[in-house]
Amino acid sequence: MADGIQQKLSTKGRPYSSGERRLSGAMLLFENAVKIPVFRCQRCGECILSHTAFICSQRCPKRLRNGPCGGTRPKGRCEVYPERQCVWHQIVRRSRIMRRSGFLRRMEKMHNWDLEKTSAWLNVFTRRIDWPTLFLKEKKRGRTER
Amino acid sequence: MAALSAKLLSGAFVVTSECGPPQHGDGAFLRKRASYFRAGVDAVNITDNQTGIVRMSSIAAARIILEEGLEPVIQMTCRDRNRIAMQSDLLGAAALGIENVLCLTGDHQRFGNHPEARGVFDIDSVQLVSMVRRMNEGFFLSGETIEPKPRFFIGAAANPFAEPFGFRISRLGKKVDAGARFIQTQAVFDLQRFREWMREVRESGLHEQTAILAGVLPVRSAKALRYMKEEVSGISIPDSLVARMDKAADPKEEGIRIAAETIRALRGEAGVRGIHLMPVMWESVTPRILQESGLVKT
Repeated sequence: MADGIQQKLSTKGRPYSSGERRLSGAMLLFENAVKIPVFRCQRCGECILSHTAFICSQRCPKRLRNGPCGGTRPKGRCEVYPERQCVWHQIVRRSRIMRRSGFLRRMEKMHNWDLEKTSAWLNVFTRRIDWPTLFLKEKKRGRTER
Repeated sequence: MAALSAKLLSGAFVVTSECGPPQHGDGAFLRKRASYFRAGVDAVNITDNQTGIVRMSSIAAARIILEEGLEPVIQMTCRDRNRIAMQSDLLGAAALGIENVLCLTGDHQRFGNHPEARGVFDIDSVQLVSMVRRMNEGFFLSGETIEPKPRFFIGAAANPFAEPFGFRISRLGKKVDAGARFIQTQAVFDLQRFREWMREVRESGLHEQTAILAGVLPVRSAKALRYMKEEVSGISIPDSLVARMDKAADPKEEGIRIAAETIRALRGEAGVRGIHLMPVMWESVTPRILQESGLVKT
């Protein structure tokens, strides 16, 4: 029971073996080559691009995963770096266009910083993180789930 | 004890007020401030190094407020501590008799007096709410059990005035789902926008699952108001209000009048369960405002 909740709150996996580190390094050569230029990937190793309309949420200076902080400036500018757009503002807008807003209402797990700078693709295959979700079965907001 | 949760449960209109701890280690400062909150304030929020400026620890200050016979609400931000330190501090708070926690993401350290500091942001405010709830259920994040369980009354913040407006209700819903039992909002100046937000809150039924306390920030000069309008993000201030403060012969009195009018308007709004005063560096005005707004009988 406790473990069930645990799974919901944060990802937890075996620590990397030295073999896996090497494999991760090799995979990152390809992963970074795609994800850094296309998504401006911040290499958190726990990719949730599929939940955030394919905009990397980790560009947020607070690295938020559950939506924008309360400081967004007018016209959706970032509070910390006003010259930028708030990345969550962009995510919310694009999610609406792509009809993926349902993803944003779900609770994202806590960071597992142990996975930082590892290959998210490898982490998917080794079941450390969930598979990307391409489609969401739309259901009513689970207010009663508590 | 647990006066705040009991009062909210009774359905009474609740008043909370904010108190910033001092930038020194003398508790007398807080004992003096406490006297302003004796009449009519149900709980006092103790800020956690707000805007990233170093102040006395929120938990230590809350204990002093508790010793003064008031009910403290500690604010806990994710900026300065990771999940280990936060769970540890929460256990400490429980041991000191503190029962209310307001879970916040926290202002970015760039705006404080140590902009070169490392921002932690290990978890975010939604996850912090769920973490405290899980501790209430008797578990650390690691899955190990806590016995005896702490019993925190969990709160969170909401900002009706910041973009993206379309997502603000969803985010509030996440916090409520995670376990937030009360919500303190950003300061209300723009009543129109607030009413719109409240309408959405009522439509989603969230006001029945959590107690909404609307923020009220008394200002004492047109300059302060203008500063907030231009510099503080996430606050919406109508031009008419700035003009009104500009014209006022006695800006302090006008500020009190505006705050009292706002409180009256908020009391009339369906679903608002109380107000949260934020008399930033002007705590002494609290009794006046409560009198003027009719929340405390003279």
